[in-house]
Amino acid sequence: MHQFCNDPIDVVVDFSGQRVKPTSIHWNNRHYPIPRVNLVHGAREGQKRIFYFSVSDDTNFMKLRFDTENLTWHLIEFYAD
Amino acid sequence: MDKIIMHIDFNSFFASVEQQANPHLRGKAIAVAGKAGGDLRRSVVTTASREAKARGVKTAMATWEAKKICPELIIVPGDPQKYAMITERLLNVCRKYADNVEQFSTDEVFIDVTLAADNYFGASMLALMIRRDLKATCGSVCTASIGVAPNKLVAKLASESVKPNGLTVVRPHEVEAFVRTRPLADFCGIGRQTEKRLAELGVTSVDTLRTVPRARLIELFKSYGEWLHDASFGQATDVLKDDTLPAKSIGHSYTFPHDLQTLPEVKKNLLAMADKVAWRLRQQKMVAKRITAYVRYGDFGGDGSARLLNVPVSDGLTISQNAWQLLAPQLELERGVRLLGVSVSELQNVALPTSLFRKEQRMQQVVTALDSVQTKFGADAWRRASTLQTSFRERTSGWHYDHLAMANQT
Repeated sequence: MHQFCNDPIDVVVDFSGQRVKPTSIHWNNRHYPIPRVNLVHGAREGQKRIFYFSVSDDTNFMKLRFDTENLTWHLIEFYAD
Repeated sequence: MDKIIMHIDFNSFFASVEQQANPHLRGKAIAVAGKAGGDLRRSVVTTASREAKARGVKTAMATWEAKKICPELIIVPGDPQKYAMITERLLNVCRKYADNVEQFSTDEVFIDVTLAADNYFGASMLALMIRRDLKATCGSVCTASIGVAPNKLVAKLASESVKPNGLTVVRPHEVEAFVRTRPLADFCGIGRQTEKRLAELGVTSVDTLRTVPRARLIELFKSYGEWLHDASFGQATDVLKDDTLPAKSIGHSYTFPHDLQTLPEVKKNLLAMADKVAWRLRQQKMVAKRITAYVRYGDFGGDGSARLLNVPVSDGLTISQNAWQLLAPQLELERGVRLLGVSVSELQNVALPTSLFRKEQRMQQVVTALDSVQTKFGADAWRRASTLQTSFRERTSGWHYDHLAMANQT
């Protein structure tokens, strides 16, 4: 199942040097630990910097969007086997 | 001193990036096609994963056809920003090891390692270091095939000879023998039409191409015949272009999720597209003198024409009005409009002169103000009321994706 969404989520992150690593998210009243960050890429919307985190656990893939201007996280893509 | 050229080519690029991002897609037949949220049934396969290729899925195949061949195929919508970022990482890795880097396409790059490597053993070591860096920066699933040879032609043939993740080194004394083993279709510069024409002459392999006298090839193909003759022996004088050439044209085309059937729909979409073209023109501080508009119908037939303007333009409304005048007389709506395209060419890098007329001066001021808004808030910061019902999803294909605009944004 592959779905696209734009849901605000709460994210717990680790800061290591200049890097940010999401470790768990809270979405739909559920808590999802994030054992793997597979790819991080950035983009610009005008002067706003956006980072996308492609993360996964053993059954789910999630793409998270981090808006550096207002410091909000959104879940934008969800894939389950 | 002989050159040492390296060609690096990502394997199944878009599909590998998707498999890197989503481990649940690894080992599965996937195809990258279409746009996120779009109708994937009207798309074509942009890239197939190795697993899908093994099942017969090919690039440019219609998705319905691919699904028929491989029912378990997972179709993943493309994400151009992600691919552009990986391309940028590839270029950065290459720049670390060579001064001269030529981006050949979104997933291919030539680098000159003559000085950095010194010899072919050094070049092999550099190739391994590049591979290690790519794994670290792009992930272990994004593999690349690497070819090392004395020129670009043979380096590309070499990288394509072993896939995936190959490393093929062709030293100068091995070139003639190596080239003999490659099919003509693998040569960058021999397209389907040339291959067909050569076949009509009885030339179906490098060996048979070598038997045709150079003078005869020149007689048949003009200067290209000379290139063909040299290529059959692995000789080429191509040089690396380490600079981004200025754009010759700027355009947008779009395949709609359903065929357009009414004039207002076509007109609105043309205007929205022209605005996008105009914004990119102004971003690059250019104006255009030629406007081209084209249409493709549901039956895959099409039409198009171009017009040269007396005064160069850079605003969307003028481009749209001209495009409409070009298209309207030949539009056959009953065939259903599948794709529309607008492009501008004969670009000049000059500022538009200030108009003598008050109305046009005010319009220029408005456009300048809107450009500031777009620079700050992104390309979708404003729209004309008449185009509110139009929406364009991002295109997947790396070849047509606007990496320059992307780079300007980042």
